[in-house]
Amino acid sequence: MSTTVNLRVNGTTYPVTIDEGRNLVSVIRTEVGLTGTKEGCDDCECGACMVLIDGRPVNSCSYLAVQAQDREITTVEGVMNGSELHPLQRNLLEEGGVQCGFCTPGMIMSATALLAANPTPSEEEVRIGLSGNLCRCTGYAKILAAVERTATESAQEMAQA
Amino acid sequence: MTTTTTPRRFVRADGPDKVTGSGRYTADLTMTGQLAAKFRYADVAHARITRLDVSAARAMPGVMAVLTNDDVPDVRFGPFIQDRTLFARDVVRFEGEVLAAVAALTPAIAQAACDAIIFEYEPLPVVGDIEAALAADSPLVHDDWSAYGAADVLVRDRNDASFASITKGDVEAGFAEADHIVTSRYVADGCHAAPIEPRAVVAQWEGDKVTIWTSTQVPFDARAGVCETLELPSNRVRIIVPHLGGGFGGKCGFHYEAHIAALARATKRPVRLVFSRREEFIAPDRRREGMVFEITSGVRNDGTITARKAWVAVDNGAYTADSGFFSQLVAMHIAGPYAIANVHVDAHLVYTNHQPSGSVRAPTAPGACWAVESHTDELARAVGMDSVDFRHLNALDTGRVGPSGQTHDEIGLQQCIAKAAEMIGWNDDRPADEAVGLAIGWWPSFAAPSGAYVKIDGDGAGQIITGAQECGTGAVMTLRQLAADELGMQPEDFQLIYQDTSAAPYDMGATGSQTLFNNGRAVVEAATEIGRQLRNLAAQRLEANVDDIVLADGAAHVAGTPALSVPIAELAAEAAGGELLIAHGSGVPPSAPALEGSSCVGDLGMAAWVAPQFSCHAVRIRLDRDTGVVRVLDVAAAHDSGTILNEVGAHGQVEGGILMGVGQALTEGTVYGADARQRNAALLEYKLQTIADSPKVTTHFVQIPTPNAGPKGAKGLAEAPNVPTAAAISNALASLLGSPVRQLPMSAERVWEAMQS
Repeated sequence: MSTTVNLRVNGTTYPVTIDEGRNLVSVIRTEVGLTGTKEGCDDCECGACMVLIDGRPVNSCSYLAVQAQDREITTVEGVMNGSELHPLQRNLLEEGGVQCGFCTPGMIMSATALLAANPTPSEEEVRIGLSGNLCRCTGYAKILAAVERTATESAQEMAQA
Repeated sequence: MTTTTTPRRFVRADGPDKVTGSGRYTADLTMTGQLAAKFRYADVAHARITRLDVSAARAMPGVMAVLTNDDVPDVRFGPFIQDRTLFARDVVRFEGEVLAAVAALTPAIAQAACDAIIFEYEPLPVVGDIEAALAADSPLVHDDWSAYGAADVLVRDRNDASFASITKGDVEAGFAEADHIVTSRYVADGCHAAPIEPRAVVAQWEGDKVTIWTSTQVPFDARAGVCETLELPSNRVRIIVPHLGGGFGGKCGFHYEAHIAALARATKRPVRLVFSRREEFIAPDRRREGMVFEITSGVRNDGTITARKAWVAVDNGAYTADSGFFSQLVAMHIAGPYAIANVHVDAHLVYTNHQPSGSVRAPTAPGACWAVESHTDELARAVGMDSVDFRHLNALDTGRVGPSGQTHDEIGLQQCIAKAAEMIGWNDDRPADEAVGLAIGWWPSFAAPSGAYVKIDGDGAGQIITGAQECGTGAVMTLRQLAADELGMQPEDFQLIYQDTSAAPYDMGATGSQTLFNNGRAVVEAATEIGRQLRNLAAQRLEANVDDIVLADGAAHVAGTPALSVPIAELAAEAAGGELLIAHGSGVPPSAPALEGSSCVGDLGMAAWVAPQFSCHAVRIRLDRDTGVVRVLDVAAAHDSGTILNEVGAHGQVEGGILMGVGQALTEGTVYGADARQRNAALLEYKLQTIADSPKVTTHFVQIPTPNAGPKGAKGLAEAPNVPTAAAISNALASLLGSPVRQLPMSAERVWEAMQS
């Protein structure tokens, strides 16, 4: 059965008419039209579809779009600071944490949530925080380095401020 | 000797697209009027089709086309053996075989139509065991095998699709010289490339021309497949690859582009196919092959291996994809990078009713390396020698002769062994539940034709238009540096135009670790031609001898008179009004080295290796003796891949290859039922390694001048790091258990069982 839902994605409200059974990832990618969020397994195993809902990381393949009504959804397209790359995005590139890039949007969303909740995570906490995101290319070392560098830089900025 | 080239750190050109979500992958594309495609699969491993009725599916509202074998040209295809068709014909031979393809208004309607297709069949005996399949009385996977077209050099017999042997010296005489004879049997389960992006294809016709956007690693191969099966000339088929979400060989070959093009032609609408994860597991002809190994080696008390004899059976699956050369390739890997005087290997590529095998990252090598390197440690234990010393004694070195009779030019294998052992702390004390292990591997560089264009437009901005394909490795990104170095410009001065068969000349694709090796050569040649043009223009402008013109820092200078110079952008503006700065390059691939004192049956050119790459991985592991769970703590990787041009990218290849190797060692293996169907075709049951599992990796590159290497002395690197990791883990584990775990993956269950016996 179809219903109309207001989805608020990256600060913009999108009224979408969808079947109630539709998962969030398909609605974001199709009706909302933001394809940065990827679908890799439809099974909550790979994390490519990770988005933030009210700041918390969620596998959007296994979340009904209608459940996201009246919540703040953030996708990878909402991460940049205006026209500037977010430090995490910049560090992923500089450290070499991006190869094919298919896991990258989900990885960025999980890391964003992790750093918001825990600005100075230990290595073990980063590993746990990102363990729901599969990457087949990098072996994770450079992703780990990018997240740790982002946390360190952020702490240095805070200390200077 | 170490070269002085300092690898540059640079950010990959496609990186900003990928971190912002603006980069488009195939499944992100939507065409106006686009239909959704779904396939109906056999879902049975071996059966004769008695009824395939699509009439109800065709009649469903919203269904625009249903195609079967009756609706496409009568073509059998395959690069080595023409043993397959686009759609099942008479007999299905594996569960993922496509019976029919549907295009409908929505994916849900297309799926409902697939479900409405009536498929009735008579079951046929299932061939699931590769050793039994070689028996004279085994049921045949292909009754008509002898009637198929095939490469002349293939040695075929019933279920044996490709037999190869390598013989050097006299193994029986070598065994007679030995003090110990060790025989080992190992079994490697098949596994998967498992790129995170499931494949997707979009096809759209305009008039009699079709454009196909597809997640392939090999666009020119994909085009050739479409042309062959739909009987089209190559200039009416354009393959464009958007960003590719990983491949690891799994997206090599020709997959489904023709099915979707045929649906788009039948419906006169664009059609899009997007695979589910389950389809990604069961359907493509690109599973990593399962294998059985029997290896016997003779060794003297002083540690010298006197002879090696081996028998290998490789699971080909139901159809022969690019696997025809696997038998000879696995023979090289099971002989190993050793200077053994007497070698004989027999290798069979065996049809079964499993999913077809194909080139997954270093095909046959990780499994064969795991077997032969586990066996090598058994030999070292038999003579009471340290694993490192034993390898230094027997492994290849500059000037030594390999198993196929190739005398090796300058190579860095011995340095790799020493460095990996040093980095892991080979002789350090460690707790009783920890151990180190080490293994060596090798991999050829594949010399192949490859082309590129380079142009510089009137504003001085450059473009490299290349047939090369990017699958994440960053190899294409390094091409900018090669062109820039040739022309005294910066990599950022060039944009890359790639992954489009109608824009660029041929390249083999993101396969065989060959992009930099071959396409780098093409780009350098094209850039050299542009450089010649620029020097001529500058010589006229500066009234100097052309031989004195040097291109550096974005300008043409007169050597010895730096004040006399002209910016390249000015020369480009001048050329824009005249001859234009455009050039093409391909270069001449290096030829294969000579082999002496050996003979090969079923020779597909895989025994003579141009610019071979060598590696040694050493690992430190911890074993939980209560559960059999192995944790890999550290990996020290030493690689001779020639000159390293892209430091960040090179480390990324090694780290990624190692983690894939850890997965293959411990958790990744396809489980088949007695019905030859996969039992773990999902990421919940087929476990990839996570960031929480990943070991600390330390990498060292042994950079020595290699004859016949690629640009600036570079060899390949994408596949080599996947070769020796599982073997090193096996040897560490064997040192804790006293003997190796003889089946791959060495899952916790199998480790625990080995501990009980």
